[in-house]
Amino acid sequence: MEFFSKTNIDFLGKRRFFFLLSLTTSVVGLLVTAIWGLEYGIDFEGGAEIAVEVRPAPDVADLRATIGSAGFRGAEIKSYGQPNQFLIRVKESLTTAHGEEPTAAVVSALKQRFPDRSVTLLKSDKVGPKIGAEMRLNALIAVILATVAILLYIAFRFEFVYGLGATVALLHDVVIAISAISIVHHLGILRIEINQSVLAALLTVVGFSVNDTVIIFDRIRENRERHKGMNLIKLMNLSINETLSRTINTVLTTVLVLLAILALGGEVLQGFAFTMLVGIITGTYSSIFIASAFVIWFLQTVRKVDLETEYRRLREAERQAAAAQA
Amino acid sequence: MPKRFRQLWAKWALVVLPLALGIYILIPTYRAWDLERRKTSLQEAGDSVQLQEFERLYGATLQSAKQNALKLGLDLRGGMYVTLEVDVLKLLEEAAEREAIDETFRQVLDATRRDVERTDQPVLEAFLRHFDRIARPQGRSLISYYDVSDLREVTEEAILERLRRNIDGAVDQALEVIRQRVDKYGVAEANIQKQGGRRIVLELPGVTNEAEMRQLLQTTARLEFKLVRNTEEAVRAFYAIDQFLKRERAGQPLDTTPRPSAEAGATADTMAQQAASQASPGDTADPYAGLSEEERRRRIREDFPFTSLFITYYIRNERFVPIDYRQPDFPEGEYFFQLPKEQLPEFQAILERPDVRRLLPVDYEIAISAKPDERLKRQGYEIHTFYVLKREPELTGDVVTDARATFDPTTNAPIVLMDMNAEGAERWARITGANVGKKIAIVLDGRVYSAPVVQTKITGGRSQITGMSSIQEAHLLEIVLKAGALKAPVKIIEERIVGPSLGEDSIRRGLLASLVAFLLVVLFMVGYYTGSGAVAIFGLLVNITLIFALLSAFKGTLTLPGIAGIILTMGMAVDANILIFERIREELRRGRSLRSAVDEGHKRALSAILDSNITTFITGLILYFFGTGPIQGFAITLMIGIVMTLFSALIVARALIEILLAYDLQLSYGLPRRWLVATT
Repeated sequence: MEFFSKTNIDFLGKRRFFFLLSLTTSVVGLLVTAIWGLEYGIDFEGGAEIAVEVRPAPDVADLRATIGSAGFRGAEIKSYGQPNQFLIRVKESLTTAHGEEPTAAVVSALKQRFPDRSVTLLKSDKVGPKIGAEMRLNALIAVILATVAILLYIAFRFEFVYGLGATVALLHDVVIAISAISIVHHLGILRIEINQSVLAALLTVVGFSVNDTVIIFDRIRENRERHKGMNLIKLMNLSINETLSRTINTVLTTVLVLLAILALGGEVLQGFAFTMLVGIITGTYSSIFIASAFVIWFLQTVRKVDLETEYRRLREAERQAAAAQA
Repeated sequence: MPKRFRQLWAKWALVVLPLALGIYILIPTYRAWDLERRKTSLQEAGDSVQLQEFERLYGATLQSAKQNALKLGLDLRGGMYVTLEVDVLKLLEEAAEREAIDETFRQVLDATRRDVERTDQPVLEAFLRHFDRIARPQGRSLISYYDVSDLREVTEEAILERLRRNIDGAVDQALEVIRQRVDKYGVAEANIQKQGGRRIVLELPGVTNEAEMRQLLQTTARLEFKLVRNTEEAVRAFYAIDQFLKRERAGQPLDTTPRPSAEAGATADTMAQQAASQASPGDTADPYAGLSEEERRRRIREDFPFTSLFITYYIRNERFVPIDYRQPDFPEGEYFFQLPKEQLPEFQAILERPDVRRLLPVDYEIAISAKPDERLKRQGYEIHTFYVLKREPELTGDVVTDARATFDPTTNAPIVLMDMNAEGAERWARITGANVGKKIAIVLDGRVYSAPVVQTKITGGRSQITGMSSIQEAHLLEIVLKAGALKAPVKIIEERIVGPSLGEDSIRRGLLASLVAFLLVVLFMVGYYTGSGAVAIFGLLVNITLIFALLSAFKGTLTLPGIAGIILTMGMAVDANILIFERIREELRRGRSLRSAVDEGHKRALSAILDSNITTFITGLILYFFGTGPIQGFAITLMIGIVMTLFSALIVARALIEILLAYDLQLSYGLPRRWLVATT
């Protein structure tokens, strides 16, 4: 079987368009995230989260009233995977003000209200404000550190410009992934809050989205030996085309397993799988359209190397040759 | 084809051995799972006879299998995860002299509290910063607030030094107390660790009664000094307990009596026998003579249901003489008791019965040593000592102002120096004066840490405790003695509970997702790359087996994010194969022969494979260092997965391809036949 046998797509000729597209998407994404916001899980926010199963499922309004009367008025109540499972989230200010242990209070209130139903505690997390603040800081440090480490590694294995290109591409992926979380969460498609596993997914995206970029850069390095003197834009385009089928196939296997996790892995892994999925797909896009394009942009605007003129001439010649053949 | 096999044996070994090794390492995991499952089904059926039989046959196997099995994280098996923090600020406040505390000092404390409540900066440093800012301009110094009467030199440094030592001590002490309590509560496979300077992390599998556990973790420990009463009166009471239990068991069918597991009984019985035979060397009328070893043990257990659990020694001229309970004439004097760890549960169960308790003198209680005997432990025996104590404490720990482990300047033996305040010193002089030659037990939270003999009347409040077998033991005693002086409560700052049903659900979902993911990858790889895709799948199987094997060999735990990491590895592991296969296809299209295309493809794909895996590995490392708990589990499986991917794709799958080529198999790499026909 073969998806792409031999392609000759001019990916870099339209690089301005994709550059603008990505820039607009990122900016809009950031704006949307700023307006709609992200919901931080208690890992980062502090507070308490109690998941219970009540069989048969009660009316949510009834549940809310019961929990309110237990002293946690204003606690959020959401469905937790199955229809008879509920997630009750108590804000940090409420847990400290109330004094009583939220888990015990909620469970006993529910048992009292619904004596003839089975009430099971599925899980409970209580995180103090200090731990939450620490985790936020650690998360930020981790993402920055990972990005810098990858910039340095690629710069060391290839050239500094390529390190920059890979970094821009991966930052783009992270931004898109975060915006996507904000959007699906706000629109109520999936309930995803920023917690430790979403952070783990974001970091994995950082490491993973460069995989495809590395494959292309590796081919560029090889082709520069093979076709000495070839125009860089043409050479990069050739490299992207040559590696296209493996770029797509490697990402395809990963997407397949992530879909399996997303569909079957349950509530806990949903945020993880979704974040990875968005990150990986944009990672492939950015490897093809952004990473090399950024290298070219950097060389032309910062280093003042003119690659464009020659490339246009070459494309023109190709087109004429093709027309002559026809 | 033996000749061909001779050429290929090394490659066959590369294909078969890793898989075999992985499976071999995972045998205990399978066995533990299988036995546990059978045990649960017996328990559910409520079949006690079968259950006992099962314990006898497989109890030891299950234990050892569990030791080497892959451990499941709390999120999968259910349990409680708690992070405790020692309230250092409270300690600083308590250490200050009550009368000296004024408005200025309170301001310093409040400012410090605001700082440390939301960040993890060191409390003492923050305190000093605010002290310099608020209190110093008003002419106050640390000396104004902290008691300096017992310091050799009155300097700020000396006070600071002592505060620092107390903070460290408070954390160690909380750790010790919590260890003992969790141990007493009987949590199997609990993991308790110090994290950073002042935090304690507990992982308590299977615990769901959080209210009870919370109570246990947050109550402050109580230090008491109690007189040891290991007298003939106590021994007579033990004899009475034996008789009582024997009568009770005789009157009832045997099945309802609690019975220890066969294995656990053995150690104590042997020792009880030793005691029996040594006690009366001249006594040839052994009632158990001529019985088989097993029968003899059983008889001793039946005849002495309580006292056969431990060994009793009579101390005669400083020599330990083992005695038995056959003749109830016990000489006056001091006794000594040793209790093997395995017997602890039954020992305590008997003593907790109110009808048994009544047989002990009212003002007596029994306390077990906190640690097993160090010297015996080095020989592989876990033997506790227990003491009969006077119930009413002579003194409580709040009179102790300081304690310090050090070495005796003349003998160089480890000792502990203990200081008491004026009130304590006065009472201590009276107590020690009245009990010269007797033992006083140091009891924290109901466990005995040391029971030194009073050598002389101690006046002036400074005592010296000797007889520790190591400086570690001395250090532990120092921590214990400070319990009264260090009033540093612990706070729960993070608490996570996973109910057993959610854990089971997670495992089920994780397994299902893995299976589906695996099938999808198989479909894609075999569909796209045909035969060589199947080779990649074989590599993937080796890979997954080895990930689980390494995880269990390194005593890692499998968490739900860890399962996600393994599923992700399935998607990534074949990436390396895809890179190689695509490259081989490319070389084939360029007109190379299959043989040289395979060589070239592997060689050329290597750099891209390495680079892309290293970048992911770097993020795995960073995740490991910045993540906690389950996320670290993810990071570890991700990193192991990457290393194993490189191994299985570059070495195992390659070897298999070489073998297939050697047998002239035409691997098409999923390309249309024409590319191969043209070149071979």
